Amino acid sequence: MKKVIFAMVMMALVLALAAPSGAIQAQDPVKIEVWIAFSDYRLDWVKEVAEEFNAMFPQYQVNIVGGMSYEEMFAQVSVAAEQNALPGVIHFNEASTQDARDSGNFKPIAQALGDRTEVNGLAIDFDDIIEPTTAYYTLDGNWTSFPWNTSSAIWFSNMNFVNAAGFDTPPATWADVDEYCAGIMALDNAPEYCWTFPNYGWFFEQWLAQQDALFVNNDNGRADRATEVAFNSDAGLAIFNWLNDQYDKGYLYYSGAQGGDSWGTVDQAYQTQSVAMAAYSSSDTTLYTRMGEENGFTTVASFLPYNQETGWTGNLIGGGSLWLVDGLTPEVEEGALTFMIFLSNTEHAAAWHQLTGYVAVRESANQMLEEEGWFAENPNQTVAMQQLVQSTVTPATSGALVGGFPAIRNAVTGATDRLFLTDEDPAGLLDKAASEANVIIEEYNLLNAP
Amino acid sequence: MTSLSSPTTSAQANVSSLRRTLRAWIPKRWYAHIILSISCLVLGIPLFYSIIVATQNNSDVYSYQFTFGESLRDNWKMAFEMRGLHEYMLNSVIMTVAITVGKTVFSLLAGLAFVYFRFPGKWLVFGFVLITLMMPTEVFIIALFRYINRIGWANTYLALIVPFMASATGAFLFRQHFASIPAELSEAAQLDGANPLQFLLRVLIPISWNTIGALAVVQSIYAWNMYTWPNMIISDPSLDVVQVGLSALRTGDASTQYGPLMLGAVIASLPPVIIFILLQKQFMSGFTLTRDK
Amino acid sequence: MIISPLLLVLAGALVGAVVIGFVFSSAAHRGLLGAVLGAGAGALGSLICMLPLDYCMFEAERKSIDVIFGVALVGLGVLLALAPVAWLSGKLLRRESLVSATSQPTQGTFRHWWIALPLLAPTLTILVLFLYYPSVETLRLSTMLSRLGARREAFVCVDNYTRLFEGSAYFDVVARTVYMSFFIVVLSMAIGLLIATMAYLPVKGASIYRTLLVWPYAISPAVAGIIFLLMFNPTGGIVNYFLKNWFGVRPGWLNDPSLAPWTIIISSVWKSIGFNILFYIAALQNVPVDLIEAGAIDGAGLLRRFWHIVWPLLSPTTFFLLITNLTYAFFDTFATIDYLTPGGGPLQSTTTMMYQVIRLGVDNNDLGKAAAQSVVLFLMVIGITVLSFRTGGRQVTYGA
Repeated sequence: MKKVIFAMVMMALVLALAAPSGAIQAQDPVKIEVWIAFSDYRLDWVKEVAEEFNAMFPQYQVNIVGGMSYEEMFAQVSVAAEQNALPGVIHFNEASTQDARDSGNFKPIAQALGDRTEVNGLAIDFDDIIEPTTAYYTLDGNWTSFPWNTSSAIWFSNMNFVNAAGFDTPPATWADVDEYCAGIMALDNAPEYCWTFPNYGWFFEQWLAQQDALFVNNDNGRADRATEVAFNSDAGLAIFNWLNDQYDKGYLYYSGAQGGDSWGTVDQAYQTQSVAMAAYSSSDTTLYTRMGEENGFTTVASFLPYNQETGWTGNLIGGGSLWLVDGLTPEVEEGALTFMIFLSNTEHAAAWHQLTGYVAVRESANQMLEEEGWFAENPNQTVAMQQLVQSTVTPATSGALVGGFPAIRNAVTGATDRLFLTDEDPAGLLDKAASEANVIIEEYNLLNAP
Repeated sequence: MTSLSSPTTSAQANVSSLRRTLRAWIPKRWYAHIILSISCLVLGIPLFYSIIVATQNNSDVYSYQFTFGESLRDNWKMAFEMRGLHEYMLNSVIMTVAITVGKTVFSLLAGLAFVYFRFPGKWLVFGFVLITLMMPTEVFIIALFRYINRIGWANTYLALIVPFMASATGAFLFRQHFASIPAELSEAAQLDGANPLQFLLRVLIPISWNTIGALAVVQSIYAWNMYTWPNMIISDPSLDVVQVGLSALRTGDASTQYGPLMLGAVIASLPPVIIFILLQKQFMSGFTLTRDK
Repeated sequence: MIISPLLLVLAGALVGAVVIGFVFSSAAHRGLLGAVLGAGAGALGSLICMLPLDYCMFEAERKSIDVIFGVALVGLGVLLALAPVAWLSGKLLRRESLVSATSQPTQGTFRHWWIALPLLAPTLTILVLFLYYPSVETLRLSTMLSRLGARREAFVCVDNYTRLFEGSAYFDVVARTVYMSFFIVVLSMAIGLLIATMAYLPVKGASIYRTLLVWPYAISPAVAGIIFLLMFNPTGGIVNYFLKNWFGVRPGWLNDPSLAPWTIIISSVWKSIGFNILFYIAALQNVPVDLIEAGAIDGAGLLRRFWHIVWPLLSPTTFFLLITNLTYAFFDTFATIDYLTPGGGPLQSTTTMMYQVIRLGVDNNDLGKAAAQSVVLFLMVIGITVLSFRTGGRQVTYGA
């Protein structure tokens, strides 16, 4: 008898505990956490979109967590994975792609979507995504992550200096840059230096891609897993020789900052008009245009100057994409997919582009902006898009897929640093960076390859 | 003083009156005043300029304005409302208070054990603690980082606090201090039937406030100013401490906005500076160096 | 080159037998017993480092530098095993008490010695878990290839160490660390002492001066970096603004490899000088004012007097400050460097050993190599501590 009573009491207890929570769950929205690698106005914008999303889809509640840099996000995800504390969606930069694919923490988008063409009534329409982005984030035509913020490296010119030196348009080639600089530096009110760029590995990769040269072997890691770097080629050497020449002539300003923290030093040099021109990411086109307006000069954006000897094949993309964590419950996964699509729909892709200068990743968004007359009013904003659209898609311009990419970039920026500040032979520096990078790849593959 | 007592020529009178005037005008040890004033100025300029910039926008900074600007309100809004500086400050406060209290309490207990107990292998335990003076946490930070990740403490207050709650420094400070207290005190306490904890609470602590204060000041400043470890182990921005959180202000809006950054830097420095200035005397009297024992 | 493990054990045993045998026979006891004891200890010692490493550096395909490392490690192991045996047997044979080394007051102690255990438990637990365990883990990691988030780890023997000897890159890092630390410590202490000798004089407003002099101690290394970034920035910083207006020069404070370390040194001295001033003022208060000031009329006398009389009186403080400042220069400058010259400066000119460890371990996610460099850093800390205790710290027990 006692046992029966005991069992009944237990059952009542279990029911009492389970019933209300079950009842609440039916009404409670499904919570989806999204980690975004921004900390500024870009993060604020994503939060606004999330609120809009939550209002539109009351069954979901998207919570945006930001404030990390790309590099911090990378470390944070490794840690969270070990603790089984991953959120639903993660925002990685392009260089993290191989590591993310190898980690086993993420479900390929193609696999999650299957044959569906819409989720919760939102059309996916991958055909609408611009080609360079598709080329980077798909493997054998399958999307592994969801496209979002795509940028390219472009060139900003302070036209007050350029015009004063007798030129009407920004430089197009390396030789032009040299010629322009000779003119600009001869001005009475010449700036301290002619031009600058962030010592961040991405720019070396851009100039390499322009010459249709590979960064790593096996078709930039796309035909097969990359096992060696390929950047110590004639194309790589041409970049180093040109940069070295520009620095030695006193044209190129090098702030000494390396890696992710070098961006700010370029902003400051450009804003204070210590330099006349700068290579930078299109992600800040809006900001650079405004800098000119606020400080009394005109900024014109143009394609990143290329090596006139080899011609221009195309540029590669930068920025980031959204990754779907593996092992989510079906409801959370559904919500996460819905939010990704929502964040990159036509309207948001266009608004995001207008806010920042990132390329609008959808053709339809570009068309909409065109019809609204946005590009006509803001010619600077078309540059990155045009540069990417006019690019020929080859393994080189698709960008490299390689493990340990952040460390490899550090090897390249380290070599660039030595290139400027020592008399060492450019070819020797490049070879040394390559052998450093090869060790990184070898060790990465040893530990991470499935 | 001397010119009146002895007859002098008018020239000498002039000289001595000049001396008198000078003496009245030039303070005693004028050379010390000069060196000290210059030193204070040189040390103070960087902070003073930071305070000025905290009220400016970037255009003011780049056009070298050395007067207060009009952007204090905007900078404040940027630092607090948009970048959540107050959350970083709160995290720093929690971490600092927990480390300081924990370290002080544990150090007091260890000091008590080392001075008022005889137990087998004491010299070994003592050496065990002593050796950690040569083992700064930073040296093993990579392994600690991995270990804390493994046990699931990354991105928790535990990771910021617990590893720093014990310190050889503190244990030794109290050991030295207690050893200098006459043994009669503890004998009397034992005659009165006090147990060790009562002895600690009622006798030792009341006469040790200077030492406790000194340790607390040093440890709280140390904890508040920690950077390397929180920067490594915390990647969840809502748990960042202010020293690390400041970098969010630096890269906040693509290009460095000096106004909010300097405002943040100045505000982040206020708590330790105020504590230090207020408890300066106690700090020094607690750290009497004992030599040639 | 292949050396058989057996050979190494025998070598250890031989060394042990000779050393301990000598200790025993010198204490007029039977040397043979000592030799046997020593042989055992020596053989054990040669195994200490080799068993965890599985004699990996003596494998056939290894280079000679690995073999040298291996032999050195065997030597270290033998030394570690023999030292306590020699010390203990020496003491025991001379019938000395073991605990005399750290004699404690016997009066006033409480009964029930076991109460000490819970009192010590928190401190000991934390030290074991978060200091001793990571130190052992650092040693283990330093022989591994390891990445956070990777599928597996790989054992690489002593490669992470031998790699440091390839080329001059790592020696440069060590040299720069020593260079920057030297100037930070010397400048901060010397200028601190100079200011302190003035500030301790009974002048009007002395306490105001003191407060205005010591507050930078409470500023964090990170904020020091931010403040100096604002002032020394080549584009838009006020230092170059004035230098250009007055002298027409614009030094590259942050991008000139020979100047960048000095920007770190200057900001570190600015931040740490208050601490030195504070402690020197306190130390000087035990020195009569006359000793310093009376000589002010004849300058030579002043210096001589200071050097011969005052300076020795300050030596305990100097020693304490030396250790504290060195710790600061080695470890705490990280935040200043990270804000002023992110990435470690032009030509890695501001990359200290500590900065390199974090860059490798965190930025490059290469835990093994970072751990190996941590071990080198640790050896250096031990070396400096031992050295300074031998030269300056004998008569001082310090409490901070």
